[in-house]
Amino acid sequence: MKAAHFSYHEALNLQDAIKIKAHDDESVILAGGQSLLPALNMRLSSPTCLIDISKISGLNEIKIDGQTLFIGALATHSDVMNNKTVKNNMPCMFDILKMVAHPAIRNKGTHGGSIAYGDPAAELPALAVATNAEIIVSGQNGDRSINAKDFYLGLFETTINQDEIVVGIKYPLLKKGQKIVFDEVCRRHGDYAMAGLIANVMGSKNDIKDLKLVFFATGDKPDVADKTARLCLENGYDYDKLKNSLSTEIDFAGDLNSSSEMKLHLATVLIKKVLSKLEI
Amino acid sequence: MAGNNSVNISFTVNGENFNNVNVPSRQHLADYLRSQGFTGTHLGCEQGACGACTIEMDGKAVRSCLVLASQANGANLKTVEGFDDEMMEKVKQNFLKHNAFQCGFCSPGMLMTTKEILLNKKKLTRDEIRSEISGNYCRCTGYQSIVDAIEECINEIN
Ligand SMILES: Cc1cc2nc3c(=O)[nH]c(=O)nc-3n(C[C@H](O)[C@H](O)[C@H](O)COP(=O)(O)OP(=O)(O)OC[C@H]3O[C@@H](n4cnc5c(N)ncnc54)[C@H](O)[C@@H]3O)c2cc1C
Ligand code: FES
Ligand code: FES
Repeated sequence: MKAAHFSYHEALNLQDAIKIKAHDDESVILAGGQSLLPALNMRLSSPTCLIDISKISGLNEIKIDGQTLFIGALATHSDVMNNKTVKNNMPCMFDILKMVAHPAIRNKGTHGGSIAYGDPAAELPALAVATNAEIIVSGQNGDRSINAKDFYLGLFETTINQDEIVVGIKYPLLKKGQKIVFDEVCRRHGDYAMAGLIANVMGSKNDIKDLKLVFFATGDKPDVADKTARLCLENGYDYDKLKNSLSTEIDFAGDLNSSSEMKLHLATVLIKKVLSKLEI
Repeated sequence: MAGNNSVNISFTVNGENFNNVNVPSRQHLADYLRSQGFTGTHLGCEQGACGACTIEMDGKAVRSCLVLASQANGANLKTVEGFDDEMMEKVKQNFLKHNAFQCGFCSPGMLMTTKEILLNKKKLTRDEIRSEISGNYCRCTGYQSIVDAIEECINEIN
């Protein structure tokens, strides 16, 4: 299929983009286009106007900012994977992004686009929630910083206002003994996961002091499972107990490839797989 | 309403200049290229999944079904028709030798992905080659012959 008609506007700078977005509530931002264009081509979406922000300079910066790693919204998945500052400060990012689509898609798809889109099956929103990241948005009234756990409201729904644009994400630098571990199950390398888990762990394999579990491709947004994490810390890995706990904590939503029952099973097994990756 | 339903852009395809051409805002790059005779760029899914439309934009592989023609302003594009340098001639010979072209529908995308693999200059195992081409569907070969061809290309280069 082909996209319906829309007008195209190449934004000159951030203010220009904010102004158009504020005045046309059926306009949408075009960043890497790797989620938006499939939706347009399939006519799942028919906005009046696309505001192309991909050529705005300065929005793809990656740097250490105080106690955080800042990734600019327009940094592509490939940029982030090849960046030394990211590699040194957040080594899990490479392994995670390797599972996001395929190289030609990662050459265009952006970090900010993935965060802003809020696809429940996407890895980065779950990573942002698991690491307590802050999402920086810019609008008519200036910038605001939103904690990732408050950013995601539901299926493709975020707290971002019509006049706002994501400009970057701040990930707190890892503390000593802290590790981010990740795994997912998918049908083909690079496809969206059937279920995935990002764990934020303090301690070592035999001595876990703190554990945060955030699942993706399970419900309508990144699913935090604090109760199950506590149970796992107290009792160790027990498939039946953890499965039972997850079933009360997450509203599993089945899709074409996997039923909600299957996702519940995969999520439970993922806890074991992820914990086994920790060093002793 | 801001913006326009069509835009004027300039870019190059395989070194040929396209100056100030008018493209509809909603047209994706693959459709534009095909309309200009670059029919080696194939369209399978138009949603990024099959890889048949993969071309090179400013030195990087991209899905031309997921880039608007209007976004190509100022870009240097290379399609399969422009894969005529020494390295790509060798790649094509290896694909022929191993019978990695059957119906040919996936081939332009496979060649582009192979080019990116070779430019990265890494020695890959067969499993790694499979993971690198996981974004390109082939409905004929069963992939075996394509992996054979790419493996030989990598061995020749390293
Ligand atoms: C075949 C295929 C497989 C994929 N597999 C995966 C996968 O396994 N995991 C995964 O996470 N992703 C996957 N993706 C999606 C990919 O990661 C996208 O790049 C990403 O989701 C969106 O980034 P983008 O820059 O392309 O955004 P766009 O497509 O340009 O935009 C997506 C949405 O976000 C909005 N938006 C974009 N940037 C901003 C901003 N800065 N501020 C406010 N709003 C903004 C847009 O208006 C639009 O609604 C896949 C894509 C394809 C085509
Ligand atoms: S047609 Fe572009 S990826 Fe299938
Ligand atoms: S050769 Fe026919 S699809 Fe690959």
